[in-house]
Amino acid sequence: MKCAEARKFVWLYLDSELDSKDSFEVEQHLESCAECAGLFEAEKKFDQRLGRFLRGSQPTRRLWDSIEAQIAPSRGHRLKALWPLALAASLVIAASVTFLTRSRTLDLANAVEECHSAYVHQITAPEFSGAVPEKIAQQFGGRLDAGAFAYRPSEPAFTSSGARLCHVEGVPVALILGRCAETPVSMIVFRKSELDHFPQTKRKLESGDPIACSRSGRYQFAARFIDDHVVCVVGDEPRPVLEDLLRAMRRADG
Amino acid sequence: MARDKQRDRFLDLLRPIERDLENYSRRMVFDRRDCEDALQNAVLRAFRAFDRYHDDTSFRAWMFKILTNEIFTINRKRGRVAQFEIAVEPEEMEEFAGLDFATEAPISWETLADALDEELLAALQSLNDSERAVLLKRAIGDLRYREISECLGIPLGSVMGNLSRARQKMRNAILRARRKASL
Repeated sequence: MKCAEARKFVWLYLDSELDSKDSFEVEQHLESCAECAGLFEAEKKFDQRLGRFLRGSQPTRRLWDSIEAQIAPSRGHRLKALWPLALAASLVIAASVTFLTRSRTLDLANAVEECHSAYVHQITAPEFSGAVPEKIAQQFGGRLDAGAFAYRPSEPAFTSSGARLCHVEGVPVALILGRCAETPVSMIVFRKSELDHFPQTKRKLESGDPIACSRSGRYQFAARFIDDHVVCVVGDEPRPVLEDLLRAMRRADG
Repeated sequence: MARDKQRDRFLDLLRPIERDLENYSRRMVFDRRDCEDALQNAVLRAFRAFDRYHDDTSFRAWMFKILTNEIFTINRKRGRVAQFEIAVEPEEMEEFAGLDFATEAPISWETLADALDEELLAALQSLNDSERAVLLKRAIGDLRYREISECLGIPLGSVMGNLSRARQKMRNAILRARRKASL
């Protein structure tokens, strides 16, 4: 691919809208052309800056509390006369729902969302495929093992593009990046003994549920125990798809 | 009871995107009261229609579509009508692809990443409604081109054309502001 052609694809590439063949060709060109790589990097930085500006404001809590309070079970118009009471009741209900539903979003689901989001937005990329390189194994600090990187779903729809070592809330984890059909899916694997860092998920998994599911941001999340590990999958896929991936999980070295 | 469960599920999906919906609405409407009305109407409308929402589609894209319709309704009432270009000429597709880096050589592209908030806001206001809607759906909504196309009911080529022009205009507005400041 020549410079002019690569530059035609700059936004399609940065927006992840290129097919895998063109994307690969652009990447190859960028590896060999410092000038284009610099231009792509500058565009990416500008886009990130623009994104920070546009998404910068925090939500107005007062506004959302008021909107959420209006989403109450309808009992018909005959209760109209009792609206002050209904409003007060719905505020109480909304507050309870807020508490209950927020506590239902698993802590681990929230913690790994950022990892997956970084992968989707091409901020994170795999560091290796195959056996864990020695220099990475040296960073485990006795809290992770190479076996954590060996899990793969036997599901044919899943293809792995590689793995990297990552830290979630200070816990070293194996991050395995792949796709289910065309959708990016991240697998996060760590030792069961580290689960104390995520008490909600621990309670859920130890309560007997074979698979714990949750949602965080725009992604679905599911986790289960396999041997001495906690294996999680995250992606913008329906929950049953992630559950099937977890059920089909095997250790390649086992 | 079933209604309670449905509401819980709706709120579970809504809460993580409240911030993005509000930022989108603010940038599209530029009027606080109208922005809040659009959000409130969109959420209530979405909740009433929630039994028609299917899990295998993106809730985010679905919500942005409903919110966009509310914003357009409010804009129509205020006499601010969005003009969406439906047809995209082949040369516009070339324009999408043909960013002329060379003409902007006097100022480093890196300076764009240092743009100030006020420069970005002024540049954003220089966009027309269709360019702004597409840019915000991509930058805030994180929607794919196809989702934006379905959301706005315009062809994929128009999404790409509008997005290209929006980014080009944002870039040019910032570079102009930088040049003026350096004179």
